[in-house]
Amino acid sequence: MIVCVAVVGHQNNPLYLQSFTAADDALKLHHIIHCSLDVVDERVNNPKKSGPTLNETFLGMLYPTENYKVYGYLTNTKVKFLMVTTDLEVKDADVRSFFRKFHAAFVDAVSNPFHVPGKKITSKIFAERISGIVKSFGSVTAG
Amino acid sequence: MAPLAPKTGDAVFASIDRVNAELFTLTYGAMVRQLLTDLEEVDEVNKQLDQMGYNIGIRLIDEFLAKSNVSRCVDFKETADVIAKVGFKMFLGVAAAVTNWDAEGTSFSLVLEDNPLVDFVELPDTCQGLHYCNILSGVIRGALEMVSMKTEVTWVRDMLHGDDAYELRVKLLKQVPEEYPYKDDE
Repeated sequence: MIVCVAVVGHQNNPLYLQSFTAADDALKLHHIIHCSLDVVDERVNNPKKSGPTLNETFLGMLYPTENYKVYGYLTNTKVKFLMVTTDLEVKDADVRSFFRKFHAAFVDAVSNPFHVPGKKITSKIFAERISGIVKSFGSVTAG
Repeated sequence: MAPLAPKTGDAVFASIDRVNAELFTLTYGAMVRQLLTDLEEVDEVNKQLDQMGYNIGIRLIDEFLAKSNVSRCVDFKETADVIAKVGFKMFLGVAAAVTNWDAEGTSFSLVLEDNPLVDFVELPDTCQGLHYCNILSGVIRGALEMVSMKTEVTWVRDMLHGDDAYELRVKLLKQVPEEYPYKDDE
């Protein structure tokens, strides 16, 4: 189950942050997101990329904590998508397709002429789409 | 005999030059956004969009008549059908439906299920009074005025305001008689 997703701008400014837990641990999740940004920077600054992986946007698992796993995705415009999940067994393909849908939703949201680039995403449609994507996560393989 | 008027604009739409839909949508979005910044008042933006549409309409009608091969409409009902089926298809790529005629046959509704202008758009709370597609009403008004029909075009339903379709109400105010001695050769 995905407990938190975030969109972070290229100056590490939060664009969208949403947690999906009933419990009051949003702060903790935001902290995890914040910490994982360092890992993203680390990956970006020490690229081991070459050839076919040069344009790879999916960063893979950033770091595992006791209860959570954090996955990252970096667009070519340096916007980061982060996802925190509690699942222990996560298929790489699932996460990739999750981020692909996430990216598509993000692109549509910033194409709204009333969205100011670099500002928080306030769109309700975007929020609904994201929670839809989050809910359907993993259900393809489970069902 | 005059060529048969086309029932839909599909053929014309297929033959004229087109631009990428997203380029079109984003350009229009950027323009509305700029108008909002410049004019600050939502009502002023509505007015400006309508005026711009009007200016487009009075030119567009010539292109429409030249390329669409429609013949003279016998009544306002036919005019409505031509606008909905040929005009919209030709310039926007979608066809509209004509409904809700009033008893006198002087006003009707154009219903658009799909509107390429509003892809991606979500109105912020501060702009709830904005008729985002007000340019369309201006275009219709301008175009009809050039073929001697004074009309009034208003928005009834707007998906951006939470309705289920786009509905434009077109009301014929009066038909202006042709001002020059018109002589038909037939």
